[in-house]
Amino acid sequence: MRIGAMLSDISRSLFKKPVTELYPFVKKGAPERLRGKLIFDAAKCTGCKICVRDCPADAIELHVIDKATKRFVLMFHSDRCTFCAQCVFSCNFDAISLSHEDWELAALSKDSFHVPCGRPEDVAAMAK
Amino acid sequence: MTPTLPPIVALLLVPGGLFLLVGSLFYEWADRKLVAQFQNRIGPRWFQPEADMFKLLAKEEIVPDGVNRALFHGLPVVALVGALTAALYVPMLGLVPSYSFRGDLIVTLYLLSLMTLCMGLAGANTIDRFSLLGATRALTQMFSYEAPFLLALLGPAIVAGTWQIGEINAYASKHAWLLLTQPIGFVVAIVGLMGKLELPPFDAPEAETEIVGGAMTEYSGRGWALFRLGRDVELMVGLTLASAFYLGGLANPLAFVLKTFGLLVVTAGLQSLFARLRIDQVVGLWWRIGMMLALAQLLVIAVLSRVA
Amino acid sequence: MESQTPQATPKKFIVPIGPQHPALKEPGHFEIQVDGEIVTSATARLGYVHRGIEKGVEGQNWTASMYLLERICGICSHVHATAYAIGAEKLAGVTAPPRAQAIRVLVAELERVHSHLLWLGVAAHEGGFDTLFMYSWRDRETVMDILEALTGNRVNYSANLIGGVKFDVDDKQADQIRRGIDFLEERTKHYLEVVTTDETFLRRTRGVGTMTREQAEELGAVGPVARASGVPRDVRVDAPYAAYEQFPVKLVTDTGGDLEARFVVRMKELFECYRVIREILDKLPPGDLTVKVKPRLPAGEAISRVEAPRGELFYFLKSAGGTNPDRIKVRTPSLCNWASVLVLAPGHKLADIPMMLAGIDPCFSCNDRLVTIARRAGAETWTWARLRQYGIEYYR
Repeated sequence: MRIGAMLSDISRSLFKKPVTELYPFVKKGAPERLRGKLIFDAAKCTGCKICVRDCPADAIELHVIDKATKRFVLMFHSDRCTFCAQCVFSCNFDAISLSHEDWELAALSKDSFHVPCGRPEDVAAMAK
Repeated sequence: MTPTLPPIVALLLVPGGLFLLVGSLFYEWADRKLVAQFQNRIGPRWFQPEADMFKLLAKEEIVPDGVNRALFHGLPVVALVGALTAALYVPMLGLVPSYSFRGDLIVTLYLLSLMTLCMGLAGANTIDRFSLLGATRALTQMFSYEAPFLLALLGPAIVAGTWQIGEINAYASKHAWLLLTQPIGFVVAIVGLMGKLELPPFDAPEAETEIVGGAMTEYSGRGWALFRLGRDVELMVGLTLASAFYLGGLANPLAFVLKTFGLLVVTAGLQSLFARLRIDQVVGLWWRIGMMLALAQLLVIAVLSRVA
Repeated sequence: MESQTPQATPKKFIVPIGPQHPALKEPGHFEIQVDGEIVTSATARLGYVHRGIEKGVEGQNWTASMYLLERICGICSHVHATAYAIGAEKLAGVTAPPRAQAIRVLVAELERVHSHLLWLGVAAHEGGFDTLFMYSWRDRETVMDILEALTGNRVNYSANLIGGVKFDVDDKQADQIRRGIDFLEERTKHYLEVVTTDETFLRRTRGVGTMTREQAEELGAVGPVARASGVPRDVRVDAPYAAYEQFPVKLVTDTGGDLEARFVVRMKELFECYRVIREILDKLPPGDLTVKVKPRLPAGEAISRVEAPRGELFYFLKSAGGTNPDRIKVRTPSLCNWASVLVLAPGHKLADIPMMLAGIDPCFSCNDRLVTIARRAGAETWTWARLRQYGIEYYR
């Protein structure tokens, strides 16, 4: 039977700095395995579209510029993505990874949510 | 002793009126910041209560169906007025109260209770289930702590031989701190203050996780702002009263600031330390232990004054 | 808006807790009839968070369904995925490699730590003890940082694949986990002491919601709620799955049956979690992380039972041989525990009801599954089109 069992906690906290992290003024680095924005390595992609099939959120579209020369553009919808990393493991060629530095994806308009990934010339070719 | 200000200045500017309103918001901030510090987190920034007030005064006030409109709009005003008037009789800012008269201790305590009565009435006014429960609990709690709290404040009045707060304050400045000579009374007064202000652990009338907002559930916008402001003014007045009586009187503004803040630190610590008491436990606590302690303190005073 | 029924019966005053109420973190409707402050009856209405997940998985393939099922609940997401993965692996006729099983158990125990610390804070907040709430959530950040470093996310870890797990545990992470667990063990000892000795908190929890062992068995309680009444039931011990045979867990029970016992059981379970986590880190079996599974699972039915932080979680999977699941039925533990609150509520004070609700650790999102109640004679079965039409007309 004790009155004030947390007295030791609160008296110590009176003289300690608060533990609150003052984000966004102070940013803690993210761990390596953090699942952030998708990174596409166009050189390794073979166009099998397993990632498209396995994505639970329909966040990936694969556009074929030229199948013979392996020119593909991956359209990534970051507003639909749940960052589950299934695409990373479904891909048998290691063409997809998730960044651990690029995770602050909030924006004021939806344009930045539809990210075409691939070689710059392929992306330009798709826009045309 | 510092000279007294002309009464009209004291009423409107300092230490009543404007100073009181702004100062009470500052005290609310200090209370929240201290509780946050005890809980190892940063609290609100210094302008949070002011920002809250501005926002609330500008918001739409929703009047629920079935209420008595005059009461609904009038009760917050009466509550705030009661708290502001009570401040005229206590040594706010360490200055001699400008409007004091004989017997104003009782009047002050009544004015402080006016706020709780208004809240109870406001809760009973609506047909919302939560408000009714909150009103019942507020009034039950008031009937519990009122008597011991009054007795605890009576102790200093008895040794000072007067019912006028200004004179009790002067007495306390000249003698040893009543905290040391009447410790039991001090404890009852502090805990009673927390009960009056409905601070945790006595926040059953406003238990957020049980009855949403208690008596205040239906209030929004202006009415809610006025009730909150009344609560903050009551905090400041209550702290002033308790520190004037028990912490050696408030002789000047510096003593006022230091002593009331010291008391606020203690109150904030007590707030963080306990779980919420159920309303039946509150009643049990006050009518058994609170009353006993207050009566014991009075008995000691009576015996010692007879002996001395 | 009626608060009093104009009848000759004694005055009924109904306090609605929910669907919007600060006591509930998720919507659910409880009609509590009170007489003053004493509760005279309690009924519940759920279904506010029904999202149609069981129907939704029929439209996704086996791989993607896991993520949908994982999001049935935020705080027990990993055990949902584990139960599904185990069931799917049974259908496919494979077993995940031992290292993967051990990592599954590691994440499951870390999730149990996370869930119990979260629950401690929430239950303390319901009782008005905000300080304990703040401190236990501060310490919860430690386990969330561990999980973020290990899996990549603080909640919804997505650690499972059908056939194994996604990632490995290396030495750096093992060190971080050990250090975090040491810190948390200290703090858990302190919280156990606070919960069992603090006078004001005990007044809110001791003797509240007392459920005897017979009542627990009759009302079908599961998980820590049942174990607090002395029922020795824990799926990890009764029917070990994943790596629980190599890393066994001791059963934690208490005989009190009241809220205080439930606090004590969960705190003591935390100690067991810490022990198992350390054991796994010391003796992680070597090997692969996944085993290959084809996109079409053979036809059949499979059952898997796992121990979620709230009790026994039951999955039934049915495959028709295609790429998508044919039917997945989920029975979550929270669904079984409601009776223990609603039946035992009468006689308590109104202030005890949020505490009792918090005591069973309700997860409303888990709850909103389809429940078939005993059919009366003359009941008809409606088609999907008929149900839709009914819904449209209801709101017109």
